[in-house]
Amino acid sequence: MADRVIFACTLVLAGIYFYATEQLPTLEIGDPLGPKAFPRLLGVGLVITAVVLLLEILRARKTASVARGDAHPRDRGAQLVVAGVAVWILCYFLVFEKLGFVIATTIFLIGLTSYFNRGKWVANVSTSVLFCLGGYLMFTKALGVNLAPGILPF
Amino acid sequence: MDTLTHILNGFAVCLQPINLWYTFVGVFLGTIIGVLPGIGPSAGIALLIPVTFGMEPTSALIMMCGIYYGTKYGGSTTSILIRTPGEAASVMTSIDGYEMAKNGRAGAALAVSAIGSFIAGTLGVIGLTLFAVPLTSMALKFGPAEYFTLMLFAMTAVASLAGASPAKGLLSTILGLMVATIGIDLQSGQPRFTFGVPEFQDGVGFVVVVVGLFAVSEVFRGMEGIFKGTAAPMLKIKGRLWLTREEWKRSIGPIWRGGVIGFIIGVLPGAGGTIASILSYTTEKRLSKHPEEFGHGAIEGVAGPEAANNSDTAGAMVPLLSLGVPGGGATAVLLGAFIMYGIQPGPLLFQTRPDLVWGLIDSMYIGNIMLLILNLPLIGIFVRLLYVPIGILYPLIVAISVIGAYAINGSMTDLYLILFFGVVGYVFDKVDIPVAPLVLSLVLGGMMEQSFRQAMTISGGDPKIFVNSGITISLVILSIISILTPFILARIKAFRNVPLAESE
Repeated sequence: MADRVIFACTLVLAGIYFYATEQLPTLEIGDPLGPKAFPRLLGVGLVITAVVLLLEILRARKTASVARGDAHPRDRGAQLVVAGVAVWILCYFLVFEKLGFVIATTIFLIGLTSYFNRGKWVANVSTSVLFCLGGYLMFTKALGVNLAPGILPF
Repeated sequence: MDTLTHILNGFAVCLQPINLWYTFVGVFLGTIIGVLPGIGPSAGIALLIPVTFGMEPTSALIMMCGIYYGTKYGGSTTSILIRTPGEAASVMTSIDGYEMAKNGRAGAALAVSAIGSFIAGTLGVIGLTLFAVPLTSMALKFGPAEYFTLMLFAMTAVASLAGASPAKGLLSTILGLMVATIGIDLQSGQPRFTFGVPEFQDGVGFVVVVVGLFAVSEVFRGMEGIFKGTAAPMLKIKGRLWLTREEWKRSIGPIWRGGVIGFIIGVLPGAGGTIASILSYTTEKRLSKHPEEFGHGAIEGVAGPEAANNSDTAGAMVPLLSLGVPGGGATAVLLGAFIMYGIQPGPLLFQTRPDLVWGLIDSMYIGNIMLLILNLPLIGIFVRLLYVPIGILYPLIVAISVIGAYAINGSMTDLYLILFFGVVGYVFDKVDIPVAPLVLSLVLGGMMEQSFRQAMTISGGDPKIFVNSGITISLVILSIISILTPFILARIKAFRNVPLAESE
């Protein structure tokens, strides 16, 4: 099933990529091929990939007759957890520059560790705070790298 | 004679206190990255690039290479003690290494992997010293058409060998090349596929892609593992960190053979450390007088694969340094780091910056000695890292990834991109699409397009230029063979299985 979805996505992507390539304006001065040639080649490559994928799907259908069972409920639960983590990371990024690295990252880490390292509040909070403060000071003061200060005065 | 002088000068460069320090920092961090599950060499190198800004390029590259080969040493520790490879190429070590630990021989397993890694790693660097120069003299004859076909071969080899399905490898390769076309076209100044996002005009940085695909997606997988509770129990180091006479006798052959296998596989594009260690494992099992012991704690099953995956790293440096074309994901990231420093590896680099090239190569001899010390008497310190709860470790990896990605340009777009590529990496893993081809083609994409267009300009638009010389013809044939090989092998396998199935 997954392979068929990949096959369909590959074809759709090839179509979109061809369309986007043709929309590129060209100024063919001193460059006989222009900026479209290589992307066109990639579009063709994508179509060839789809054909090879189809051949693999057909071959797999011949050899494997046992259908895969439904996903285990535990797998589905785990995937939900992963989706939750992704959303939590997105929320962290949304407030990253407003709150600044130290505050946003501390909240982010405390949230995540309190779920995955349950019940160990002292370790979770102290690791989160020390990591963020230490990391921030090391990068901004010692290495001169910019990390969003946000609402902090330093 | 000239080369010998350069090699000796290289030692003068790498023995400078500052470079010795960075070699140590590199191999130390490499061992930590190797021990910790969650970050491999590719993400480790990519995350450290912002830290090295402002450093002298030779020192920075010595450090990053140290991380690359240092991870291979550290990777075996987790394989042996918790049956989880800290680094993909240590997967074979987890079979017999963990069994040895269960039998109370964890000390011997760790010792043989450190000694094997040292012998084979040094053997690999000797190979690199001997073979890099002859290859550069051949590469000097390369024009754009030769470079294009060489990159094509590297990509097709990685695509067909990276996963179970060549089609998915090919898909990953083309997706990487597509990402590489985002940004301003260097020849015409035309923005391409930027979707109106100003940050995309400079293209999608390979660091954010690597961090997303290798670190963030690994965090997703790790957290899934925590939820499912699939981690193996950790075993304590028992016994002395040394081998008995019998164990030593059984290990020395596999170490030498693994070293040679690893180096050859490393030089060839596509295969990489994992395949080198699998090949070494199967070779040792075939040669062994006690094949039944494999899978139940045979020391040969640790010595051979560990040796192979370490000499593989030196082998992989041969095409990277002498041709400027990497043959795998981690060396592609190293190439990206070179380019960020304005250094283009390849035959000309041996002439223009022999101090850098030989300083780097010679630092690998020193680095291997440092790694032996770090991984034998001091291994206990690194083992303590495994007691860090993974529920804390994985969130920290996300925060480190954020620092690494944000520090480059101070851009929020880069942060959203690491999340995007993290999700992509996780989904790709679920549907068996390998990500190493994507990284390789992303890093090589710009160079590949440039070679393609230069070659076509030289030929006046005639594509026959790609089959005009002996070198290009051989490389095109090799590319076709590498794509077709998995299909032919599958056919042969199916053909062999039919009579068996019929006879049952």
